[in-house]
Amino acid sequence: MTQVVLFNVFNGLIVGAFYALMALGLSLILNLSGVINFAHGGFLALGAYFAYTLIPYVGFWGALILAPPLTAVLGLVVEWLLIRPLYGKDPLYSLLLTFGLAYIFEDVSRMIWGAQSVPFQVPAWLMSPLSSQYFFLTGYRVFMVIIVAAAVGGLFAVLKYTRLGMRIRAGTRDLDTVSTLGVNVRVLRSLNFGIGIYMAGLAGVLAAGLLGLSPTIGANLIMPSFVAIIVGGLGSLFGTLLGGLLIGVASGLAAVYFPSATEAVIYVMMGLVLLIRPRGLLGEEGRIH
Amino acid sequence: MTLLQVDGASKRFGNLVAIHDVSLTIEPGELRAIIGPNGAGKTTFFNLVSGLFAPTSGSIRFEGRDISALAPDERVRRGMARTFQITEIFPDLSVADNIRVAVEIAAGYRLRPWLAGKARRAVAERVAELLSLSGLADKAHVRAGALSHGDQRAAEIMMSLALKPRLLMLDEPTAGMGDQETYDIARLIRRLHRREGLTIMLIEHDMRVVFNLADRIMVLAEGKVLAEGPPQEIAESEKVQGAYLGKAAA
Amino acid sequence: MRRGRAFDAAVCVILLFMPFWMGAIGGYTELATRIVVMGLAAMSLNFLLGFTGVLSFGHAAYFGLGAYGAAMAIKYLDAGTIPAIGLGVVVATIAAMVIGALIVRLRGVYFAMVTIAFGQVFYFIAFRWNAVTGGDDGLTGWHRLPIDFGFARLDIFQNDKAFYYFALAIFAICVGAMAVLLNSPFGRSLIAIRENERRARFLGVPIEWHVWLSFVISCLFVSVAGALYALLNNFTDPRALRFDLSGNFVIMAVLGGMRSFWGPLIGAAIFVALQDYVSSHTENWMSVIGLVFVLVVRFFPRGVLGMLRSGAKA
Repeated sequence: MTQVVLFNVFNGLIVGAFYALMALGLSLILNLSGVINFAHGGFLALGAYFAYTLIPYVGFWGALILAPPLTAVLGLVVEWLLIRPLYGKDPLYSLLLTFGLAYIFEDVSRMIWGAQSVPFQVPAWLMSPLSSQYFFLTGYRVFMVIIVAAAVGGLFAVLKYTRLGMRIRAGTRDLDTVSTLGVNVRVLRSLNFGIGIYMAGLAGVLAAGLLGLSPTIGANLIMPSFVAIIVGGLGSLFGTLLGGLLIGVASGLAAVYFPSATEAVIYVMMGLVLLIRPRGLLGEEGRIH
Repeated sequence: MTLLQVDGASKRFGNLVAIHDVSLTIEPGELRAIIGPNGAGKTTFFNLVSGLFAPTSGSIRFEGRDISALAPDERVRRGMARTFQITEIFPDLSVADNIRVAVEIAAGYRLRPWLAGKARRAVAERVAELLSLSGLADKAHVRAGALSHGDQRAAEIMMSLALKPRLLMLDEPTAGMGDQETYDIARLIRRLHRREGLTIMLIEHDMRVVFNLADRIMVLAEGKVLAEGPPQEIAESEKVQGAYLGKAAA
Repeated sequence: MRRGRAFDAAVCVILLFMPFWMGAIGGYTELATRIVVMGLAAMSLNFLLGFTGVLSFGHAAYFGLGAYGAAMAIKYLDAGTIPAIGLGVVVATIAAMVIGALIVRLRGVYFAMVTIAFGQVFYFIAFRWNAVTGGDDGLTGWHRLPIDFGFARLDIFQNDKAFYYFALAIFAICVGAMAVLLNSPFGRSLIAIRENERRARFLGVPIEWHVWLSFVISCLFVSVAGALYALLNNFTDPRALRFDLSGNFVIMAVLGGMRSFWGPLIGAAIFVALQDYVSSHTENWMSVIGLVFVLVVRFFPRGVLGMLRSGAKA
């Protein structure tokens, strides 16, 4: 029994790491620019497809390195052309726009790469189990956790130690003041958006290796990202990280005890958080309005 | 009975102490002005009294009852109304509709899905009354957002008046106005005070308005009460002059 | 909301004769009914969105609950048409009351996110609970029944036009109720909240209560639309609960004009007709719909009626 529980908790942690990676990108964009990027899942899928296209040329590792920045560049273009005019307007409009983009991304993916799942080549040695006792500890799963940890660590390091990171943090609190201090807010928002999309692209590459690649891969992952942000707390990146891990583990545990409710359990958690502490576990007061 | 009693109210935001140990008593029928250099905490004080946030310590009593924990809309229903430094009205509605909303809410109709003929006429009459009181009758159907600064302020004051408040709080009613508009607003305020017998608490920078209208003045500086008394006393106070001039000299 | 009586009358006439002129332009009665039903859904959403200024992106949940409620009432309880609709509405409204209470303290983007997330809960329930809801395949094996009024019998099952007029009657009742509400002191309190929440609060309006009421009323009417939709198709499936349908409702309202009463109906008409046309001509209808979203936001944020109105002013 313990093996099963351990397996599911570990699995849940991995899934949670995913949710966290994706949710962090979403949260970054939401906190600074007030934009709910509904197309985040679409960017994730495109990141995976870019990697899929690159693998024959540069191998898995090359694709892992190149696909996320490529996706980020696409993100920057989209931000510049479509999202920038919407800043300061009712959040309704950015939500609608990114919603439409999600549709377009999914359909374009289908047009270019087909509606069926495509085989995503992960190096074979990664896929083998690392231990005969804990069979579920495949190299790939551990590798994923390492990459996610590195990415998250990198993000927090950038936010804490670089000038860009400091400006993003300040801008999240008070964009007007940051602007009057001479920071180019437009560039800041763009770069912030780019970082967020980078993380989506990275999540896409990792997800494809684990879940397989088809045009709907993004749509399935976006909801848990939302829930991770709500549970973890509005305005807090650390909260988002925590939220992602928590809901991952929760769904992992649910898989053991209430298999049919695996997806529902994250919404139950969300409901509980809203009931008891609406601003989320680590959310800040006053961020609600 | 004292209308408003603030006892030792303090407000801190993290490490910043915005208001420290401020006490004040307002009797019914008074017009109290609150003055002080910029950043003295005047608007913070208003926010405290009107309920935008709770005091870190101290208490606020209105008509003898402790309101320190009440939400802003509850305080309004108890009889306190306020205007804001940046006028808060309904920009896309007409002036008449702005006032009408206030009148309907004051009459207790805010949940009514339907108004009978008699009630509707009573509302319309009250709206007309308020429009003429402020001199906005000829602009009744203009979009409120398109009005001049002074007219928007007057409309906002009328909306607050519609609530039949026992305490009217005005936050810098003449801010950003030229001489004529200032005069008009001041005249309106005086009328509300003298003719309608309203108790008014007022934040102002324009000393002409302050000294012409106020019964008593409270001076805030750096979050603390610097002086308090009738206009003559305040005008002669060296402490007060120092607070204003000292800042300018520095 | 300054619509002229003439405009109201024009809309009424157009709707009253839609099954007849629909055919002339290449449409069919069922399409007309779909426009009326979606129009009701979009107008219901707009009660909250355009008139109270609160963004809900999860209204499909209540639409779907109305649909499933009505469908299950007919399939499992042998209910008549009106009681079936009633059951759908009751279930959806109770859900709205509970969920509304949970989320009413939030606003802006966070409210929107939470409404989306809650919508998904019901989607999953419908998806998983195979035995009761039919799962992904949907709830089949039932159909709408002729209504027996005692003195007359309305065959809404076989007769497309009869069902159209039945749906139109329900539409008229709901829309009429919304119009009365919006034109009342309560309605004005909602518009006040939209215009300037702080000022509304400082006039003594308990914002959260009023938003909750607006939310519940809006969901109630949307569930009526959902029930009608299930009846229209003699079928319902989890897609009636999914967030993409919620998004469609919002775009209908925006496309037609959020600040006007009839705007969402016009937006629904355009959207439904477009969807019908595009999906029968190309596989890429998703891209087209997505493009509609993007174009509306970038170039027509005030919607059709919004633009016509300012055109008239100028």
